[in-house]
Amino acid sequence: MKILHLYYDIMNLYGEYANVLALERLLRANNIDVTTDKITLDEKADISVYDFIYIGSGTERNQKVVLENLKQYAEDLKTYTENGKTALLTGNSFEMLGKTITDSKGKIFDGIGLSEFETTEQNKKRMTADAIFSADFSDKKLVGFINKSSSINNVDTPLFSVEMGIGNNDNDKKEGIRINNLFGTHLTGPVLMKNPYFLEYIAGLIIGTDKKLNTDHLYYEKAGYEVTLSELTRRASANQ
Amino acid sequence: MKKFFTILVCKLLRFVGKIIGKGSSLPGKIALKMCPDILSRIQLPKYIIAVTGSNGKTSTVEMIAHILTRNGKSVAWNKEGSNQIEGVTTLVLGSASLGGKVKSDILLIESDERFAKYTFQYIKPTHYVITNLYRDQLTRNGHPDWVFDALSDSIFPETQLILNADDPLVSLFGRGRDNVIWFGADELSTDTKELKSVYNDGAYCPECKSPMTYSTHHYNHIGHYKCSSCGYCRQDTQYTITSVDLDNGTMTINGKDTISLALKSLYNIYNILAAYTAASIVGIDGAKIAADMSDYVMKNGRVITFEIGKRQGTVLTSKHENSISYNQSIRLACTDKNGCDVMFIVDAVSRKYFTSDVSWLWDIDFEMLNNENIHEIILSGKYVNDLAVRFSYTDIPKEKIHIIENIEEAYHYLESDREEYIYVITCFSDKGKFLSLL
Repeated sequence: MKILHLYYDIMNLYGEYANVLALERLLRANNIDVTTDKITLDEKADISVYDFIYIGSGTERNQKVVLENLKQYAEDLKTYTENGKTALLTGNSFEMLGKTITDSKGKIFDGIGLSEFETTEQNKKRMTADAIFSADFSDKKLVGFINKSSSINNVDTPLFSVEMGIGNNDNDKKEGIRINNLFGTHLTGPVLMKNPYFLEYIAGLIIGTDKKLNTDHLYYEKAGYEVTLSELTRRASANQ
Repeated sequence: MKKFFTILVCKLLRFVGKIIGKGSSLPGKIALKMCPDILSRIQLPKYIIAVTGSNGKTSTVEMIAHILTRNGKSVAWNKEGSNQIEGVTTLVLGSASLGGKVKSDILLIESDERFAKYTFQYIKPTHYVITNLYRDQLTRNGHPDWVFDALSDSIFPETQLILNADDPLVSLFGRGRDNVIWFGADELSTDTKELKSVYNDGAYCPECKSPMTYSTHHYNHIGHYKCSSCGYCRQDTQYTITSVDLDNGTMTINGKDTISLALKSLYNIYNILAAYTAASIVGIDGAKIAADMSDYVMKNGRVITFEIGKRQGTVLTSKHENSISYNQSIRLACTDKNGCDVMFIVDAVSRKYFTSDVSWLWDIDFEMLNNENIHEIILSGKYVNDLAVRFSYTDIPKEKIHIIENIEEAYHYLESDREEYIYVITCFSDKGKFLSLL
């Protein structure tokens, strides 16, 4: 299996490199050979050879630099997702897949157009929140943290339902986007480390199996997940 | 009259607050309600020195106050570290006469990075020290660029900036200005050519976003940088750490003033340098500053020594959600040549607000602990599982790591016949849970 960690040194604000580590370890625990290529602005990636692509979140300024670079891969990424291959984009990286991003000064940047949604940034208030999301593909909830300054409209295939936290925009109880097996979410940080069941689901998609994977090594990951879920659930009910 | 009463009420509330042990922001808050523009009605001293940045604000302010006081200056400063506008209002009114004149020679303000723009609408600093911009409390602050933008709004053309030249983002505040004084460190014996951290916030030029190269790294993105494209680079410094010897605990500034260090960390030497720079600008002689700072032990309670049975140790107060703060504490433990045990506690991520976010654990260079000086590592607190996962991705031998969720149990585990010195690395939010067991 080949993993691509794209823009690893500029889209990596919240310890997000750990998402790749979590996946590598789970695949290896199931006797699968894994190689990871870390590619950034100055090199060109051959998107078609990979089984999994990861991009993390960046500052609003860095995202615009990366967006310009990502445009060279627009067609390749379209083919990649149409073929049902797997990718995860956390934080503001998935905003680049849409139609446009409007920055806080009103300047409009074209996205790569993999989907028709639109993103609008502001610079007044940082929108941060602990989050509990549910997903239609799993009976396990997702936990994590959101850290953004944008709102997203016109997502036709959202990824999660918001139980606690912030949706794609203020009026939306849906979060993120799913395009076949490409997952985009404003959950930031080591999402796959914090959500061992989501990790297992993603790994299953990559391998192309419904078989139960060996997850014995995820003891502390699962224990940590339960603690966070119970802390957040307690918090959510206290807020109501 | 309104001014008179506002000052009076603020002083009275402060007086009562001190007796009953309340914080220092409430009197200012009420004063601002009574008279929203009270700060602009106060006659301020010639020197208004403000200090901000991600790390080292409180320590730098304490050091500046110490030096200036020792040299016969009267200083009004926020000892309690209440650094938002309410706390600063309490400070200013508390230091003012009822007629509205601050009686001290120098007003010294520690200011929160995000709120400086509000505070300084009324009180424009004459001198503004910016120490550094790190990944710090990102659950509130977003990221360093976001904080940079918030701070930009607090900087006025006439203010004398005093900037850390070794921090590429901080240095950007000096762009296009000639009234900047730069401080920084020459290449030091503790430097590395390659960056060994898990992330690099100096990888790209903050000005043009092209790749940057470093001729030397002091730590993380702090060092001597140059953009490969636009030429943005570290500025020459007027106030410079010319050498440091952490083993013997000395640093030398400008090749002449040697200071003996009470706390042998890289962190500390930058705070001392910033204080040296500010005090020099006020007119204090370098040799006098060096004498005042030598072996100076901070009074802000961030380093606390303790005993458990026959064992001795130190609590190194670090900041959760701040990887560089943790790195500095870890680096200090690693230099203990007699061998030591290290305990980490992550129980409440923040004391001020609720969050379960532990992504910052992945930005800390725990890998440094794979070092012969580090004997045992004890992990504890509610988020012990997340710590355990993070450590499982280091090369530290498993048998060195002890995972004990309950802090009291972990404490009793330390109560052993072992002779190693103990370092407890944790945050304000959690250190009391350990200290109360002593």
